[in-house]
Amino acid sequence: MHKPPRAHPPLPRNWWLKHRFFIAYMAREATVLPLVFFIVCLLAGTLALSRGPDAWQGWIGFMGSPPVVALNALALVASLYHAWTFFQLFPRVMPLRLGDRSVPASLMVAGQWAGVLAVLLLFVWVFGRA
Amino acid sequence: MTQHHPERRQAYDEPLWWALFSAGGVCFALFVPSAALFLALLLPAGLLPADALSHERASSLLFGLPGLIFVGATICLPLFHAAHRIRHGLFDLTLGSDGTNKWLMYGAAALLSALALGVVLLGMLR
Repeated sequence: MHKPPRAHPPLPRNWWLKHRFFIAYMAREATVLPLVFFIVCLLAGTLALSRGPDAWQGWIGFMGSPPVVALNALALVASLYHAWTFFQLFPRVMPLRLGDRSVPASLMVAGQWAGVLAVLLLFVWVFGRA
Repeated sequence: MTQHHPERRQAYDEPLWWALFSAGGVCFALFVPSAALFLALLLPAGLLPADALSHERASSLLFGLPGLIFVGATICLPLFHAAHRIRHGLFDLTLGSDGTNKWLMYGAAALLSALALGVVLLGMLR
């Protein structure tokens, strides 16, 4: 048995540092890391809520500690950056047509931001009152 | 002797991971900004009305159908989105082997999703 020859030489691990475009690509990929932290926080919150009022208050206290707030603020910024890049993909991947006129890409992007706003208003409605 | 068929390596399960990745991407963009703003910034800063998320009200919101939708949109689907991206990030950095990374990432996403959904379903039964 011998290994078949490689068609391509292996890429060095730092290939993406060599061009601005690839650095931006890797930065965008990395936006999921603070997201994972926020998701694990939420999961801990659901567990705390099921364990009782004391655990729930403890979780709110944990969420208020400075490093946790900093990481979650980063997750919020990451989610908005993700939204900004993700919404531009939709009109390119799936252009819409109404009759024989195509829907302008800017309108489709604006429509998706309207969705973000609608969810925000829903949260204000649910959490903005006791 | 093992024959190598690179053209047959396209995994049959890829559409499933892609669907979960896309759905998670939509949730990441639509729901995570509001969830992070309200639960991670306004709530611990005490900027929400006093009883908006008391234990009683938070329980009634989470342990029901709205809570199930909330967990799906802010925990489960974004987890699969993150798992897919981390898997491909590891591939880009040539860390580990993709076959192992794949099961580690999607396995962790599935496990944590099941845990989150399980907590809500158990809370609904109480």
